Amino acid sequence: MAKPQQKDARRNVRTALACASLVAGMVGLAYASVPLYKLFCQVTGLGGTPGIEAAAPEQATDIDFTVRFDANINPTLPWTFKPVQRAVNLKLGEEGLAFYTATNNSDHPITGTATFNVTPLKIGQYFVKIDCFCFTEQTLQPGETVDMPVTFYVDPEIRQDRSTEEVTTITLSYTFYPKKSETDGQVSALKQKSTPVDIGG
Amino acid sequence: MANAADAHAHDDHGDHYPGFFSRWFCSTNHKDIGTVYMFVSMFAALVGGGMSWFMRLELAEPGLQYLTGGAPDMQFYNVLLTAHGFLMVFFVVMPALIGGFGNWFVPLMIGAPDMAFPRMNNISLWLLIAGLALLLISAFVGSGVGTGWTVYPPLSSSIYHPGAAVDFGILSLHLAGASSILGAINFIVTIFNMRAPGMTLHKMPLFVWSILVTAFLLLLALPVLAGALTMLLTDRNFGTAFFDPAAGGDPVLWQHLFWFFGHPEVYIIILPAFGLISQIVSTFSKKPVFGYLGMAYAMVAIGVVGFVVWAHHMYTVGLDVDTRAYFTAATLVIAVPTGVKIFSWLATMWGGSIEFKTPMLYAFGFIFLFVMGGVTGVTLANSSADLVFHDTYFVVAHFHYVMAIAAIFAMFAGWYYWIGKMSGKQYNETLGKIQFWMFFVGVNILFFPQHFAGLAGMPRRIPDYPDAYAGWNYVSSVGALITAVGTMLFFWILYRTYAAGTKAEQNPWGEGATTLEWHVPSPAPFHTFEDQPDMSGKQPAE
Amino acid sequence: MRNKFMTFGLALIGAVVSFGSAFAGPAGEVRSAPWQMWLQEPASPTAERIVAFNAQLLVIETLIVIFVLGLMAYIAVRFNAKRNPVPSKTTHHTMLEVVWTVVPILILVGIAVPSLKHLYFADSIPEADMTLKVTGNQWYWTYNYPDNGDFTFDSLMIPEDELKAGQPRLLTVDNKVVLPVETNIRLLLTSNDVNHNWALPSLSVKLDTIPGRINETWTRIHEKYAGKTIYGMCSELCGVNHGFMPIAILAVSKEEFEAWTKQAQQTFASDAPPVPMTRDIAAIDNVETVRVADASAAR
Repeated sequence: MAKPQQKDARRNVRTALACASLVAGMVGLAYASVPLYKLFCQVTGLGGTPGIEAAAPEQATDIDFTVRFDANINPTLPWTFKPVQRAVNLKLGEEGLAFYTATNNSDHPITGTATFNVTPLKIGQYFVKIDCFCFTEQTLQPGETVDMPVTFYVDPEIRQDRSTEEVTTITLSYTFYPKKSETDGQVSALKQKSTPVDIGG
Repeated sequence: MANAADAHAHDDHGDHYPGFFSRWFCSTNHKDIGTVYMFVSMFAALVGGGMSWFMRLELAEPGLQYLTGGAPDMQFYNVLLTAHGFLMVFFVVMPALIGGFGNWFVPLMIGAPDMAFPRMNNISLWLLIAGLALLLISAFVGSGVGTGWTVYPPLSSSIYHPGAAVDFGILSLHLAGASSILGAINFIVTIFNMRAPGMTLHKMPLFVWSILVTAFLLLLALPVLAGALTMLLTDRNFGTAFFDPAAGGDPVLWQHLFWFFGHPEVYIIILPAFGLISQIVSTFSKKPVFGYLGMAYAMVAIGVVGFVVWAHHMYTVGLDVDTRAYFTAATLVIAVPTGVKIFSWLATMWGGSIEFKTPMLYAFGFIFLFVMGGVTGVTLANSSADLVFHDTYFVVAHFHYVMAIAAIFAMFAGWYYWIGKMSGKQYNETLGKIQFWMFFVGVNILFFPQHFAGLAGMPRRIPDYPDAYAGWNYVSSVGALITAVGTMLFFWILYRTYAAGTKAEQNPWGEGATTLEWHVPSPAPFHTFEDQPDMSGKQPAE
Repeated sequence: MRNKFMTFGLALIGAVVSFGSAFAGPAGEVRSAPWQMWLQEPASPTAERIVAFNAQLLVIETLIVIFVLGLMAYIAVRFNAKRNPVPSKTTHHTMLEVVWTVVPILILVGIAVPSLKHLYFADSIPEADMTLKVTGNQWYWTYNYPDNGDFTFDSLMIPEDELKAGQPRLLTVDNKVVLPVETNIRLLLTSNDVNHNWALPSLSVKLDTIPGRINETWTRIHEKYAGKTIYGMCSELCGVNHGFMPIAILAVSKEEFEAWTKQAQQTFASDAPPVPMTRDIAAIDNVETVRVADASAAR
């Protein structure tokens, strides 16, 4: 009687396999969360993720609104990058156009990509981009300066949402990074610089 | 319970011990594995506790007294606080409460001969020891892991933490995680399939319930950590960009994944403690647990709600306001089942005939610490209040009270409660009580002033602080000294118990101790319950 | 009953707050004082609400702790084995179990309602009069005033051996952030490298700076703080010198601020490319990490 019966052993293995599939499912979920999180941000505007549409609505309202522009540049990218105008005033639902200007200060062509978000973070879903330089990579020749456009509108729905109705100003922000594969050399240069932690042990 | 005595009939062939190496290194016996887990935990506690003691020594006075070597020493401080966190969470509390007491007493309490998969049990143990080795090695590779136990990228990325240290740390957590997942599967199968006839789920002791809920939390939470760690590993070494904003990743995603694991993890730590305290409170009050079903399902509720509150660790990353409002409300909900547990313990003691032996003192102390840490947790649940508390010493005080020291109290309580059963020798009661009071006074002097430092605005994870915080830090360090002496006294008691303890009776605690482990001799024989006892007559509410 | 509780609570809050303000920092500075036991004095509308809210929480929580401790003390005295040799066998009391579930729920609702109100207040961003952009770096802050001449400067901690008399250790910086009182200030935060956190306890501002995105919040400094310096520290582990990148705001009157921006446009006007890579080294030197710089140079 001391040994567990054959039947018990089979039952144990069945339970264990059920547990193991739960584990596998959770690992899968962790990986699935990467695209799901992105999708969730795009749908809900979480984290100030702007929406994307093909065109502004037919009918603009007559409510005034301000969109401000902010530019950041990763220290590893030897460019200057600034908004041409600090802000534009427009009506809710009206299509707006703004420019950023970027200059490559180095002696070789560099490709960059931009990340972006809008603040206050809660209005992400009401800020809609129609076209943007950030949708594609930008390559700048040595010394070249380009003006980069972005077209957008602010969804009049923003006034219907209780938590966003007081917002009258949105800030659109970009951060330019060097495209990853092209800048391995520079990244490792930065690595050397930020290695104070490496005491060579 | 009559049939429990049947186990004795087999004692004569229950003590065929294998040789030293095969007994302790290749063990498939749940009791021996549990014992090894306990000693691994004690070793890690000495290392991790030593680290915290050194940090308190440095923080005793403003200015840098010992870490005077500039940036490498600042990094060393960050390595210490990171390793302290990893060690205490993964290699001290979990091995002791789940690996040690869980392995020893879950089979005994449900009347099973062993764990369902004894060899897998051995693998769990050695994966954990390998993980511990990797973690200790990581401190000596390059500049060590100075990221905090939360390992937030970009700080943990290859640009800001070059070298192999973080990779070692990641692999260490992978091994510890795999160990825990295998252990969890083992517990679930054992508890579901191997209970003595008649012991329904609703007759199981609460400690077994707590291990069951914990095992499910492990199954659901650890794979997410494993996935996130793997992403970080490939980000660091193979050019992926899950968390790298330069290539479309998002560092905030790491925080979501980490805390989706990290918050259940704190319940993984504290739920077995809940179960243990329930057993001890019931034993020493000589009363069955008050509101048994409420106690069991409160743990289930805590486990479930624990999975939907993770972003309260991230109130300041820039979540939009509705999200924070949700997490505030969800987090406050946790106070309800924990309140049920506190009041049920009090009601269990109410009307009891309480013997304040050392385990009961520790259980009493546990309830006090948990209430203290619980109410500060209510403060921290509020996203609005978190605007002043996030990342201050108030948080440090909170989680040490509610989770760290409370769990350590449960470990001490369990050790004193069961050492007779595990070793066959009984500890010295007077020394045990002295040890409790030293430790209790020590940790309160250590952590209570940290509330004030935090209220006054002192950030955590800094090796030096503005002079205004000197007073409370000094008091805190004095508390650390007392705690350290109390810890040393524990190891002395441990040594005396094994070397010269009095022989433990089968049941040293009297009528209150009703669970099955008290129906086998002390020390528990190598093999127990090969004939399972019939539990159909057992009362449900124990 | 309710009124009595409220009166008692308010009295206790008053006591606590006045006790707390006894620990105000030195004249002209808003920072914690030795042995301070309470929050730093509130200098913004949000902070005033948060401090009051915390006082309410403290009252509720203290009462809960006292209640539980009282029960525990009573149990220890009344139900120990000597006093009560025969234990009761009670294991159920439905009414009691309902009460200790429902009463905490009511208390929590009582906490959640004001809590969420304060949360939405802190988040409802009013029409801003100016903008301050904060960029975290390892290990210093960069400040930019886009609406006041678009000038930019860095703010680094002054190491201990260069402090002048009266300057607080680990809090003093070379360039303070100058901000006008009674002005709605929009704060935009981002980072150039790792996560940092720009935290000012007395303004109840605490927000991560995260590379690749901006965060936004706001503040408004009460006018009685004109001429005072408000201190804060980085509140997210950001590497080696995390403990050595303080924040210091000099609050000034609106007129002084106008004058300062004119001057600052001159002082900080430089068309240097915004690539502060060399500043890494500067920052490191600043906190005496020469040994490391040497070490990496040697390699």
